[in-house]
Formats: sequence, C-alpha cells, structure tokens
Amino acid sequence: MSVFIPVAHALVARKDLPIPAWLFAWGASIVLIVSFFALSAAWRKPRFEQERWRPLGAGLSRGLLGLPVQLFCGTIGVLLLALSIYAGLHGTEAPDRNFALTFLFVTAWLGFPLFSVIFGDVFRPFNPWRAVGRVVGGAFSAIAGQRPAHLDYPEALGRWPAAVGLLAFVWLEVVYGVSGGVAIGLSPHAAGLAALIYSLYTLVMMTLFGVEKWCETGEVFSVYFGMFSQLGAFGVKEGRLGRRLPLSAATHWATVPGSAAVVIASIASTSFDGGQEGALKSGILQTFEWLAEAGFSLTTSLRITDTIFMLLCFAGVGLVYLIGVRGMATVRGAPPLKKLRTGFAHTLIPIAFAYLVAHYFSLFVFQEQAQFTYLLSDPLGTATTDLFGTASGGIDFKLLSANAIWYVQVGALVIGHVAGLTLAHDRATAYWGDYRQAARSQYWMLAVMVAFTCFGLYLLSVANS
Amino acid sequence: MNSKSTRALAGVAVIVIAVVLLVVLKSNGAGTTSDASGKVPTIVIKNGKPVGGIRDLAYNKGERIRFKVDSDVSDEVHVHGYDIMADVKAGHAIGFDFPASIEGVFEVELESRKEQIIELTVNP
Repeated sequence: MSVFIPVAHALVARKDLPIPAWLFAWGASIVLIVSFFALSAAWRKPRFEQERWRPLGAGLSRGLLGLPVQLFCGTIGVLLLALSIYAGLHGTEAPDRNFALTFLFVTAWLGFPLFSVIFGDVFRPFNPWRAVGRVVGGAFSAIAGQRPAHLDYPEALGRWPAAVGLLAFVWLEVVYGVSGGVAIGLSPHAAGLAALIYSLYTLVMMTLFGVEKWCETGEVFSVYFGMFSQLGAFGVKEGRLGRRLPLSAATHWATVPGSAAVVIASIASTSFDGGQEGALKSGILQTFEWLAEAGFSLTTSLRITDTIFMLLCFAGVGLVYLIGVRGMATVRGAPPLKKLRTGFAHTLIPIAFAYLVAHYFSLFVFQEQAQFTYLLSDPLGTATTDLFGTASGGIDFKLLSANAIWYVQVGALVIGHVAGLTLAHDRATAYWGDYRQAARSQYWMLAVMVAFTCFGLYLLSVANS
Repeated sequence: MNSKSTRALAGVAVIVIAVVLLVVLKSNGAGTTSDASGKVPTIVIKNGKPVGGIRDLAYNKGERIRFKVDSDVSDEVHVHGYDIMADVKAGHAIGFDFPASIEGVFEVELESRKEQIIELTVNP
C-alpha cells in the first residue's frame, strides 16, 4: 500500500540536519566519561538541599513585585492572549502567516522555559488567567466585603491535571494538527478556539479552587514554566526577590503529588515530537497503514497512531524512571518506594530542559525572526496592516549554521545530563546516611540518566532521515 | 558488591550500550542520495503527486542545486527556506538552478496542493 504519511508541522520551513555520527560518538563518549567522573569524585554531604537564600535589595523587590508592575505585566499578558485568540479565529488560515500559532507554540511555549531558567518564574506576572482571576477576586472582595470562598482542592490530585494538560497541549500541536492528509498542520482557527476553551476552563477552575491554588497545581503553563524556573538562581520568597544556589530550589519542587508525571510528560512529548519523523517513523508508518487498511480515514488513522505513540513515549519514559527508583529501593537503607518516587523526580527537570533546547533551539531562533517582523506587524496575516513597518521582513535561515545547531544540541544534552546527575547524587546523600550506600544507589540513577541522554542524542542523530 | 566489581559491571553496561547504539545507528545510516553524477534529476508529477514518492536530493553547501519538475498539473513549485517560487504549467517541465547556500532540510512543495515533492538536504 503506498500512502504518503502526512507531516504534522505547520510552521517549519526548514528542519535540522541529523547530527553526524562522529558528533554522536563524541557526545555519547563525553556523557559516559562525565558519568564515571561523577561516580568517583562525588561529594558526601548534600549541598543543594539548602538554597542559601540571599535577598536582593528591598527597593528592587518593591519595584518589580509592586502593584503597578504586576498590573502592567498582567495587562500585557491578557492583551497578547486576546490577540492570539482573535488572530486565530479571524486571521489567515496560513499557519506561518498567523500570529496565533507562532506566538502560542513557539514564543510562549519555548520562550518561557528559557527565560524562567535565566530570570526565575517570569510567567507568573504575565499569566493572563492569573491576572484576570486576581482582578475579579479583588473586585469580589471589595463589593462583597469578604474574600471569595473556594472548594478544597483534592491534594491527592496534585499536579496531575497539569501533567494531563501538558500532554494535551503537545497533542494538539503535533497529533491533532493534521488536516485532510496534507501538510497543513494545526489550523490557526483550531489554535484560537483551543486557547479560548482553555481560558474558560482555567477561569472556572480558578473560581472553584482559588487562583493561586490552581496555578500551583492545575494550570498547565504555570506548573510547566514554574518547574523550569526552579533550576535557576532567581526566585521570590516571602515577597522578596532573591538569589539562591542554582538547582537548589528544584529539590523541593516535586513534593506535590503528580510532579513526576509533569516532568515525564515533558520529556515524553519532546521525545515523541523529535522521534516521529526519525526514530519512531517506521513503527508509526506500520501502525498507520494497518489502521488505514482497517478502514479508518487517513487523518483518523494518523491521529490514532500518533496518539498511541505519544502515550507509549509517556509510558516508556515513566518506566525507565520507575526502574531506576525500583533499583534504588534495593540498596540497603533505602527510604520507602513512595518517597523515592517523588524524591528523585526533580532530577529529571534538567533532562527535560535539555531535550527542549536540543529539539527546538533552531526552530525558536528562526521562528522568532518571523515573530518580531511580519507576525507582529501583520498579526492576522491579511497583508493589510503594517503596524511596525516590519511586515515585509522574513526569516534569515543563514543565521545559524548546521554546525552551530549541532553543538548547541549536544552541549545542551551533556549539560542537562551533568545537572541531573548532580541533583540525583545530592538527593541520595540526603536519603542515605551512609555515603557508600548512597553512591551505590546512584548506579541506578546513573543508568537512567545515561539512557535518557543517549536516547536524546539518538533522536537527534536520526531526525528526519 | 565492592566498588571494583561495580565499576566492571558499569564498564560492561557502557560497552553494551555503545554496541547497541552503533548497530542502531548503522541500520539507520543516512540514506541520502547525492546527484553529483552530472545528470539533472527530474521529478515527474502525475495527478499532482510525485511519481515514486517524495524525492530525496542531497547537496553540500556551495554546490549548485539543479533539478527539473515535469508536471501534468499547473501549480507553483515552492522551495521552502530558500523561498524560491516558480510556476509550472500542465504538461510542461520547469528547471531549477540555484546555489546551495542555506544548510538544513527543506521541503519543495506544489504550493496550492500542499504536496511535498522533494526533501532537499544541504549539508555543511
């Protein structure tokens, strides 16, 4: 049966070249050498459990966290969301000419993780739903003379709604985004509609459970971007901005149930997107043809197939992590399995970030040129507006050479690997009183990290081939 | 388990992983076809689809990219990334000849049909 499998990406005019075999070999070798070094030169007492918090100047905190700045950022967030929804629903159906797709799936989705690692949780002030929720909540308090009452959030549910939402968001982009068996990808209209539905859902949940509670547990983007902000050196504590030891905040992040699922969902969805045209292609093609022959339409077949493979990625990544946890539990003096399972989840955050950088770095750099030229000046893509005089701009694909992209990709994976190992070893020294047992438990996490990093390299090496 | 035997075990694991990866890599070895033979590749379009599926064309940076599109439908041929567009009329062929200046993997499409006809690879 000769059917052409439709390609799901809407925006991508250019794909990365697979990393060459020699670089793959170098990358994998460095990963293994670093890992052995980590085994022998490890420290014996936890170093990252304490944040070593140092507040920044009180004036700076008052300025950046004060009401005017909060209102300003919130307004910008609401306006950008509104523009995305409007452009999606009323703008051009050409995905690459519509503001909505690039803004939601590239600028925000990939930009916030990057800026969160560097500057701390920058999404929080810009979060449009939080801004609306706080204004409405404040207005309610002023009128009713009492604070709005909320339902008790079921604590056992934890961050699971965010994990599911995260998978749903990526599913929308890379699985649902096929249309009629051709390479159109997600239509701007569908993106706009999805953003609208998600906004309503979020506001309802915030009304039920409270704005901050929902941001902490269920609001996909707060949880997701917030997770990456834990890696960086800047944060907010008791209303003060401050600096802390990088990576240290992550050690407290996973205490909420479902946190492991969030970080696993992140790695899995990036793996799926990175692998669907490379490492997973033959499996996807076979399942797809099988379903198509069973009588499903081509689009339905592809969507079912991709959904299955995305869930398989989630199960696979989760399984590797759980094997590592099970392994650690066999080491003498181990804490209970449940504690291990949540206790090491944060060690995967650097891996998740490395995967993001490795797979989307070039897309981000190229697509942001479009974002800040024609998409900003002509958000609806109707060629009738030129707000900033940049509507005729374009993407310079010569900005990054293939070599530069390769080095960034491999570098990100290696650095993420080191950071993950660091956090895992540190947690082990906290959990196992005896240094030797702690080191022994880490052979398991080392295997987990090596597996993820080498799989990441492998995905890059067979991308698109 | 003492540290020596664990290290030996880890060493074995490393070798196993390396071998598996090598095997997988080999089997997935880049399947690019270089058309450096001097003959200009022609992509034949029948009923708006490329005969034989999407054609892989690979070049090194600095070379000239040359191909022909021989189509039975009228459409616009769009080389993405390079943003080169040219109309082809039904029953006619159109030739492309431009320098391989941008590295990456690009789609060449029949624009109005959104039908990919070439996967264009430019290596550094």
